[in-house]
Amino acid sequence: MSRHLLPTLALAGVAAAFSTDAFAHCFVGARFFPATLATDDPCVADELSLPTVSWSKTGDFPPATAWDFSGEISKRITENFGISVGQDWTSIRQADGTLTQGFQNLETTLQYQILRDREHELAILSGVIVDWGRTGSTGSGLATDYSLVTPTIYFGKGFGDLPSSFSWFRAFAVTGQVGYEIPTSSFDFIENVFIPQQLVYGASLQYSMSYLKSEIVDLGLPDFINHLIPVIELSLSTPVANNFGNPYTTTGTVNPGVIWVGSHFQVGLEAMIPVNRVSGTGVGVLGQLHLYLDDMFPSTFGQPLFGASPTTPRKMTF
Amino acid sequence: MRISTLAVTALLTLAAATAAHAHAFLDHAEPRVGSTTPAAPKEVVLFFSQNIEAAFSEVEVSDANGARVDQGKPKVNATTMRIGLKALPPGTYRVHWHVLSKDTHSTEGNFTFQVEK
Repeated sequence: MSRHLLPTLALAGVAAAFSTDAFAHCFVGARFFPATLATDDPCVADELSLPTVSWSKTGDFPPATAWDFSGEISKRITENFGISVGQDWTSIRQADGTLTQGFQNLETTLQYQILRDREHELAILSGVIVDWGRTGSTGSGLATDYSLVTPTIYFGKGFGDLPSSFSWFRAFAVTGQVGYEIPTSSFDFIENVFIPQQLVYGASLQYSMSYLKSEIVDLGLPDFINHLIPVIELSLSTPVANNFGNPYTTTGTVNPGVIWVGSHFQVGLEAMIPVNRVSGTGVGVLGQLHLYLDDMFPSTFGQPLFGASPTTPRKMTF
Repeated sequence: MRISTLAVTALLTLAAATAAHAHAFLDHAEPRVGSTTPAAPKEVVLFFSQNIEAAFSEVEVSDANGARVDQGKPKVNATTMRIGLKALPPGTYRVHWHVLSKDTHSTEGNFTFQVEK
């Protein structure tokens, strides 16, 4: 360890110990945006998705069976700036029994919180996702020897600021993200194909039973129901450039499902319905356990490393 | 047992062990959120999912014109916060709250209730 690193870590520890946290995971006013499974939520946070597991059948003829196990940890560096590191392990069994398995490339994401508007339940986040070439199992074909860089914008909007006459509708919220994926190489000499630049985008429509109960009307429903957020996600990508000789076909899935939100973790389960034959065969399944590290370790790991206020928490002004 | 199973078990155990610290959600309220009461309540009581800090937790109650109808200071006891009300005529009232849980996580919300004519 370098002689400069020790004082830096010590300083970070002191800052974390005395800091306070007004937001933590994705609260924007009275709205809580859960961590969605196929797309990202619109906030920097201290959280861990482990594991995320999916099962699906590919769009090949005949289709292969694919399992994917992944994990991602996110950490705030400052109140509004965070980093995520994720890794996928994939197993694909062809119809003839051929098995391909290994790690995909390591993925890192830098994110900056542009806006959290409490009154309008609006959050906007910017980020850059990098899939680092040659960090996965390139021999198996599951990882590439080139990197992918994807500048991305994320948003979340709750409808709680609508007039009271909208009643139960105010428990709805939408989130979304749009990114432009740029490969660091334009031609794959192994597959002998051009590597397209792609628009990578997705959205979610969610209905918070907790919001309904605490903000609109308490129907006296069972506690388990009050922790649910039914959700439908859309995750798509479309080649937009450098795709010579190939169709500009959009691929992706529509994922209806539900997320159960607890105090320290959430559990999500979604069906994955391919939007077309190229995207997959039949209905797949996606599940995730997601841990709120800021709630589990509120005075240590759950704090931003730098920049949080060392003063007492602010007084509320309505 | 596989390593991944062990890791998940360990994390869940840790989550359970830290169960005293988290964001404070509004569990329920009296008068109930969105309800209509036949008689004017004397106070509003909010029940939260976690212990809250009295010094940094507040509640206001206002009528349809935005005029304050609460009186006195909020009283906090563990997971409960209550505030007295003036004599309320029939109408719609909004409760706006903000609390700080013991681990300094902040949450807020608002809801309405009606007093029947």
